Amino acid sequence: MTTLHRRTVLATSVAGAGLAATSTTTLHAAAAPPSSMFQHGVASGDPMARRVVLWTRVTPVPAATPGSGVGADTNVRWEVSRDERFRKVVRSGSVVTTAARDHTVKIDATGLAPQTWYFYRFTVGSATSPVGRTRTAPDEASSPEHLRLGVVSCANLQAGWFSAYRHLAARDDLHAILHLGDYIYEYAPGEYGYGRSNVDIRPHDPAKEMVELADYRRRHAQYKLDPDLQALHARYPFIVTWDDHESTNDAWRDGAENHQPDEGDWHVRRDRSHRAYDEWMPVRMSDTADLGDGTKLFRRLTFGTLAEISMLDLRTYRDQQVHTTVPSPVPSPDAEVDDPERTITGREQLDWLKDSLTAPAQWKLVGNPVMIAPVTFAQVPKDLVGPVNDVTGILPRDGAPYNVDQWDGYTDDRREVFAHIRDRGLRDVVFLTGDIHSGWACDLPYDAATYPVGDSAGVEFVCTSVTSNNLDDITGTPPRTSSLAVEAAIQSNNRHVRYLNFDDHGYSVFDLTPARAQMDYYAIGDRADRTAPSTLIASWATRSGTNKVEPVAQPIPQPIPQPTTVPGPGA
Amino acid sequence: MNTSSPFARGLDDIRTGRRSLLKLVGAGGATIALSTATGAVPAWAGRSNRRAYVLVLDGCRPDEVTAPLMPRAAALRDGGLNHPFASSMPIMETIPNHVMMMTGVRPDRGGVPANSIYDRAEGVIRDMDRPTDITIGTVIERLNAAGHTTGTVLSKEYLYGVFGDRATHRWEPAPIVPVSGHAPDQFTMDAALAMLEEHDPSMMFVNLGDIDRVGHSDLTGPLSLRLARQTALAATDLQVGRFVDALKASGRWKDSIVIVLADHSMDWSRPDSTVRLQPVMDADPLLAGNVVIADNGGADLLYWTGDPTARDAAVARMIALAVATPGVLETLDPRVDTTLRTGPVSGDVVAFCKAGWRFTDPDVYSNPIPGNHGHPATRPIPFFIGGGHPVVPRGASASAEARTLDVAPTLATFFGVGTPKGGYDGTSRLPRLR
Repeated sequence: MTTLHRRTVLATSVAGAGLAATSTTTLHAAAAPPSSMFQHGVASGDPMARRVVLWTRVTPVPAATPGSGVGADTNVRWEVSRDERFRKVVRSGSVVTTAARDHTVKIDATGLAPQTWYFYRFTVGSATSPVGRTRTAPDEASSPEHLRLGVVSCANLQAGWFSAYRHLAARDDLHAILHLGDYIYEYAPGEYGYGRSNVDIRPHDPAKEMVELADYRRRHAQYKLDPDLQALHARYPFIVTWDDHESTNDAWRDGAENHQPDEGDWHVRRDRSHRAYDEWMPVRMSDTADLGDGTKLFRRLTFGTLAEISMLDLRTYRDQQVHTTVPSPVPSPDAEVDDPERTITGREQLDWLKDSLTAPAQWKLVGNPVMIAPVTFAQVPKDLVGPVNDVTGILPRDGAPYNVDQWDGYTDDRREVFAHIRDRGLRDVVFLTGDIHSGWACDLPYDAATYPVGDSAGVEFVCTSVTSNNLDDITGTPPRTSSLAVEAAIQSNNRHVRYLNFDDHGYSVFDLTPARAQMDYYAIGDRADRTAPSTLIASWATRSGTNKVEPVAQPIPQPIPQPTTVPGPGA
Repeated sequence: MNTSSPFARGLDDIRTGRRSLLKLVGAGGATIALSTATGAVPAWAGRSNRRAYVLVLDGCRPDEVTAPLMPRAAALRDGGLNHPFASSMPIMETIPNHVMMMTGVRPDRGGVPANSIYDRAEGVIRDMDRPTDITIGTVIERLNAAGHTTGTVLSKEYLYGVFGDRATHRWEPAPIVPVSGHAPDQFTMDAALAMLEEHDPSMMFVNLGDIDRVGHSDLTGPLSLRLARQTALAATDLQVGRFVDALKASGRWKDSIVIVLADHSMDWSRPDSTVRLQPVMDADPLLAGNVVIADNGGADLLYWTGDPTARDAAVARMIALAVATPGVLETLDPRVDTTLRTGPVSGDVVAFCKAGWRFTDPDVYSNPIPGNHGHPATRPIPFFIGGGHPVVPRGASASAEARTLDVAPTLATFFGVGTPKGGYDGTSRLPRLR
């Protein structure tokens, strides 16, 4: 997303430099003992009815640090069990990992039972990994009463502690974690940190912008050392997609805002980021857990007749963003954002998405890295235009009414998706979105100008950032002060935007039943506080068939109610 | 066979003694005529108490069943088993979907794919309003054969026609609104309540047509205002309420299931958003004079009437020309496409329009009405099962897709009357009976 452009970042980072240095010790204290075989924890992901991806990384010798290329081939055994003590091991096997894959281990554990909790672990000789827990998806023909997901995005390690992950890990009522991108950030220490002064609560490793393969590997490794993230990975399977910061800011098909010529060929750099992602994330790329067989990230996951999730990749195939107005305003070419030749998805992925939306599942969920709801011209107080743009890039300085990095910058693709929904009579399409460091609940009008007169194509729930800066961080004003005026201005100009919170960081919990989809928005306290508490701040829902969001008074009930009558097919 | 109007044929049934006539005074003071098949078993000869009622809210959209607009229907839905993912089936028109409800099979087996077809044998475009158009047994006959009694209360003349004298008891609808050919819902409900009271059939099939008819003619529809429509929704909801109240007052509620659904949805188009395929076909050298089109609002059925050996080439040409016409969503060959299942009666090419469009063929004035259905945009329907019978889950929703053709298997399961040869294409939407 258009967060902070390189020049802005460098100009403001000086003030934070002193603080950054003092917080370095905190990071090292948090890290696991360097001699441990399994320093980077365990993870699982992409749950299907009978299979799930299991992941770890081994450190066979202390010198075999991430990105080092050092360390012998290592035989790693994996086990999956119904019980935490591994008395009933149902699947097991062994694989050899090497320095060529940065000593990561990723296997697709098959032959599992649907809708079942499993425990898993890895062993090398006498060294045993922490035990992870995971859960398979319901059988495709089944009709589950619930699907409940933690929803997160935008976790900038330099900007603070991952309390959002810690609070999600403390819950026992989820089925999986949906991570909508910006799982890591590319910046060097001092470039993008905490608040207005860009203080680094924890500096990045390596101490440079990640460009080389070793940089990407080390950065992934650093994030995987975070105890809160480790705890969450060990507790639930992840369903991930990337946004731009997994490679670099405002990436597009043939370049990126934060890619300069002296950093080499863009495609070479992007391939490195994709390689490291495939090594370090519990995800099936090109539909397998193998490395080197392709890095297609868009894919579907089915949860019985209740839901299907389509995870999008909105970076690899998109055309370049039209020139934005930040930081130096230039006339914004309206025609360009509407150009039917420009795409955010690429042709193949757009056709695939349209197929997804006609799935026989009731709820069509879309894991959507950048916002699809249109955000049109808003009379926002002049002094706040800059800060709002720094966090979201959505406001006009010269009459350019959009964040051209999201679907607003590629309106023809959006029009095609919405027209498809309308022409085919599709219902219960829910976009779950990250990227813009703020919480939103929106209808998706066919015509935003006349809305609420007219129909809605579906709804969008946007989760806020785990740590990355948002409006009050950038304006330096107290939370829920100056941002209120901005939120009100945007909402009054965009009547389909029903909920908007520009200030808080945190996470969301998304709960699905045949009757409704609900998103609970949780805010964490100060990101600089390792023990920040979490507070429920809003609940929004859409009843099935309505294509509209509405506020609800009651948060999602915990724990998940036991299934009552599940209507099965009659004789 | 008799090709006169459905009502004239119905009168013949009575004149010739195949059906006996009973005249009653309804709640509104008007005379209600109910006919009964001669030789039908008495209504209460050792039958179970079990009752099932199918109320079709013709053309109702699922998002219209809301508490402020339709409180009684919404309460029935919220207190029973809702199917939020429910669909009309091709062609999304009234007659085929009512036939699918009662046959439980797709039109390639049931014989009725559309409202309007080109009848090759007779060489005319006609409505599918004849009892013989249905080519498979319905659940109505199946129930009758098992000793149950049935009743049809159908407000539209062509529905009255296509179901003919299948039911034990049949409303002889009058008065019919001359222009739209359907009886207002208040009269329909008067008749349904009279039939309930007088004959107490095990299963009643009731069509309430006002929402559809008002939707078709609502000139504010394309502006998304739907003013007349909203009045009709509220009025029809009152009739649903009367029916529920009657079941409760008579003590039948605890033995009953009430299936409420629509046959299709509704989509509105502006006067300029019309598609005419007839001149497109007639301008083509291969096709000119050899393509007949049956207009079904949101769907056009194209029939090749030229040399049968040239069919494949003609179909390819028709598809190519239709697809290139603005407003056309897709064109399918029903003999090749596996999803359509409309059978040969539906012609050689089925063309669907996009949302916000309608077909008007053969002439520009053939279809002047703004509200239309038949195209995929009009697939979403409400579908819920209320009633006091213990088999009905309370306040539940199901994620599986329900379809109009699920009604017959649901009724067959409820009454335990088995499945037809070849089975149902639909699925019962009730939990298994305990």
